[in-house]
Amino acid sequence: MRYGNIMYDRRVIRGNTYALQTGPLLGQPDSLELQRQREAKKRALARKQAQEQLRPQTPEPVEGRKHVDVQTELYLEEIADRIIEVDMECQTDAFLDRPPTPLFIPAKTGKDVATQILEGELFDFDLEVKPVLEVLVGKIIEQSLLEVMEEEELANLRASQREYEELRNSERAEVQRLEEQERRHREEKERRKKQQWEIVHKHNETSQKIAARAFAQRYLADLLPSVFGSLRDSGYFYDPIERDIEIGFLPWLMNEVEKTMEYSMVGRTVLDMLIREVVEKRLYMYEHKEETHRSPEPEDEPGGPGAVTESLEASEFPEQSMSQTQGLVLDGDYVQRTTYDRRSSQERKFMEETELLEQDEESAMGKSLEEEELS
Amino acid sequence: MAHSQNSMEFPVNINTTQITTAYGHRALPKLKEELQSEDLQTRQKALMALCDLMHDPECIYKAMSIGCMENLKVLLKDSNSMVRIKTTEVLYITASHSVGRYAFLEHDIVLALSFLLNDLSPVCRRNLYKAYMQLVQVPRGAQEIISKGLISPLVWKLQVEREEEFQELILDTLVLCLREDATEALSSNVVLVLKQKLLSVNENIRSKAAHALLNVSISREGKKQVCKFDVIPILVHLLKDPVEHVKSNAAGALMFATVITEGKYAALEAQAISPLLELLHSPMTVARLNATKALTMLAEAPEGRKVLQVHVPTFRAMEVESHEKPQVAEALQRAARIAVSVIEFKP
Repeated sequence: MRYGNIMYDRRVIRGNTYALQTGPLLGQPDSLELQRQREAKKRALARKQAQEQLRPQTPEPVEGRKHVDVQTELYLEEIADRIIEVDMECQTDAFLDRPPTPLFIPAKTGKDVATQILEGELFDFDLEVKPVLEVLVGKIIEQSLLEVMEEEELANLRASQREYEELRNSERAEVQRLEEQERRHREEKERRKKQQWEIVHKHNETSQKIAARAFAQRYLADLLPSVFGSLRDSGYFYDPIERDIEIGFLPWLMNEVEKTMEYSMVGRTVLDMLIREVVEKRLYMYEHKEETHRSPEPEDEPGGPGAVTESLEASEFPEQSMSQTQGLVLDGDYVQRTTYDRRSSQERKFMEETELLEQDEESAMGKSLEEEELS
Repeated sequence: MAHSQNSMEFPVNINTTQITTAYGHRALPKLKEELQSEDLQTRQKALMALCDLMHDPECIYKAMSIGCMENLKVLLKDSNSMVRIKTTEVLYITASHSVGRYAFLEHDIVLALSFLLNDLSPVCRRNLYKAYMQLVQVPRGAQEIISKGLISPLVWKLQVEREEEFQELILDTLVLCLREDATEALSSNVVLVLKQKLLSVNENIRSKAAHALLNVSISREGKKQVCKFDVIPILVHLLKDPVEHVKSNAAGALMFATVITEGKYAALEAQAISPLLELLHSPMTVARLNATKALTMLAEAPEGRKVLQVHVPTFRAMEVESHEKPQVAEALQRAARIAVSVIEFKP
């Protein structure tokens, strides 16, 4: 490569840089793209111009003055006239395939230098690896030792736990044995106590029973005779015959007596009627005959009652008719006395009443009787 | 050749099974979002990443505080079995730490997990059992399991599962639950199931079953059931087992079961005294302790006392023995002393 002066190098742009057109760079082969870019630039420029117009500009110069562009920088620049521009276009064939750019491999310059590391020159592997290995292995072993120790510790703990458990088991067995013993003893005691208590209880009961029995016997010994006595007193023991007589015979007897009494009553009433009739008749007759006779009355009196009693006697035998009554009226004292003996106390009273009743009629009857005797 | 520029691509994912976790404290929130994503792959990868993170208790605490547990609960019901497996694994790892157990209790995860008891995939079930087993290591966890009524399903599963490993895990869980409260288990016939397991071929299962019976027979009801179902002859038989810890657990179960009279006579009938005397010379301390206690119980019955009066010297020798741990030595001595006093008791 030739070295040149930078001042004379065509590639270096010199001079005014304001008015220069930026042409397509050397590495831009595509013409279409180039065209598009140019158009885009034009459009941008136009847009900028339009914007510039809109943008407020400096005001117009005052009357009599003129605006002049002045350079105010430190270093003045020569502003030349507009440069002659010529538009040049060049376009390649659009559809032509362009072969790819060959790889730019810059030419080899410089000196080739090579280096080689031989065995054992850099470091001794065995020596160097030792510490690393030691560390590695050491760490692993440490870790595993820790784990193993942990396990061992656990195993130890477990073993001691087991031992403790065994001891505890044996103690527990002992405790249970003692408990069991205690329980057995206690149960035995309870059983014996219970037995004893039962015996005593039974004993008590038996003695109580005996006492009660003796007392009951003594009490009841009296009871029987008193019971019998009271029963007898209440009449629960009766002689059946007597009972029978009392229940059966006596009412019948009473009935019969009543009947008989009734008969005698009837007879007596009839007799009374007869007597009354007779007496009335005799009275009537007597009244007729009174003027003629006056007979002694007291002599008739014994005979009077006698006659009355005879009439009564006649009434005792009701079967015997009224005719018999009349016949027996005239019987003597003999009959009268026997009838007296035979009468019961009840009849006696009754008869005494009738006697009294007929006392009035006695006199009349006696008189009539007398009259009859006399007549 | 390496470029000096940074590449616009994402960095290469070395582990395609896991999702790339964000750095620092953004890791968990981002994982939580990814857990909720619709895409199955994303969920699975997120779960795998979570598995790794959960080994650190602080991570667990963080996960709890941002509410990852709810997401995990939802994922438990996912239709894809891989998702379920991984979720249960995450929960299992969580349960190994105390913070995680606390999370279990807070968010009611036990119940959500219980729906997977009948899951078809065995891996899923294994993780489930492991999670439960870790949970019941603390009393609160055991109480939680009991209160949610999971004992009966677990007992049922114990019968049904074919895999021995699963049985062991379930037995582990049951052992610790029974320590807390045995009433529910007793009503679901756990004694019968354990009786079967006592005769299993696998020694671990035998030993754990015996341990479970030990815990069952602590309560009175348990003792009665153990006697009722004739488990004592089997336990006596197990006393002659070749494996030490089976013998010791069997002796422990006998120790508790013989507290009540029926148990005593059942054990005497099954000739329990001679194996127990042999066990006194066992190398395991717990076996000796249990055997001593069991013999003490048996000595309360007159027949037992008669037989054991001959062996009083053995107990006297035990009284003066010493052991490296003072508590254990003291316990042994005390047990021996009590045994002697019971044997020589005259009414």
